[in-house]
Amino acid sequence: MVKFFDNVFSYEYPFSAVTLAYYLRYPNPYSTHVLSADTLSRDFDPVNQTLTTTRLLLKRGKLPSSVTRFLPKIKESYILEKSVVDLKKMEMRTETRNLEWEGVLSVVESQTYTPLPAPIAHGTANDDPLRNGTGLADDHTSVRTVVRFESRLGGVQKAEGIASRVASWGTGGVQRGIEAAAYQRMKENVQRSKEGLKIVLHGLREKGVIAT
Amino acid sequence: MSASLAPECSPAKEKYDNCFIKWYSDKFLKGDSTTDDCKPLFDEYRKCLQIALKEKGLDKMLDEARRNAEERELRKEQGKH
Repeated sequence: MVKFFDNVFSYEYPFSAVTLAYYLRYPNPYSTHVLSADTLSRDFDPVNQTLTTTRLLLKRGKLPSSVTRFLPKIKESYILEKSVVDLKKMEMRTETRNLEWEGVLSVVESQTYTPLPAPIAHGTANDDPLRNGTGLADDHTSVRTVVRFESRLGGVQKAEGIASRVASWGTGGVQRGIEAAAYQRMKENVQRSKEGLKIVLHGLREKGVIAT
Repeated sequence: MSASLAPECSPAKEKYDNCFIKWYSDKFLKGDSTTDDCKPLFDEYRKCLQIALKEKGLDKMLDEARRNAEERELRKEQGKH
């Protein structure tokens, strides 16, 4: 797979709140292109305290231009979102990928959410079970986002065309090998997602669903 | 919460989503849960969704996605040996 984008940012909200907001992130003002989000499966493992969810998202024509130049005009695309919340590890991993044309080119966005301890100014007693007892408050959440392209090698001419193009990108200087516009678009999408989630988090705090 | 790709499933989806939000924040996140309390509501919603997916021909797309995912897992496992 060719890594296209790798970025870390953080939310000024606790891990538990961010994971809840993740499942509630649609709709938000930045997501008008997301037409629907349906839950396909949800599996709770009480022994390991993990929750595995798959969802089917329908988005209005949102494949990056570096993909659409090889594919016919696409108006809507289906995205498969898989997420695992692991309470013991205090980690949420997500993976979203396009469903159609996956045989030609797949774009996979993987994220890892973890608490980011922030030093607290004055010691305050808190009975939030997700806070550790070392004097550090897990007030922030770190997110690492990696976007990868993968093309399938096969007898299909289109796939070979893309594969050789992808191969020519190499592992270093990926930004040089692809359109700067496509990379910029990816960056903007990730930024929009982040802003959208922030708005949802703010809304949850206002409604008192999550603690201030 | 978001809309469903099948409008006829929206009522069932809404019931399930509301249950999930409550269970997730009140029980799961506190490590207080031993079961998924919302499973019955999910099954109702899922029943409706499955019909819609089939009607739209999306079940085939999802089956292929499932097969691809299994293939990837297999390749990953094989790569370890």
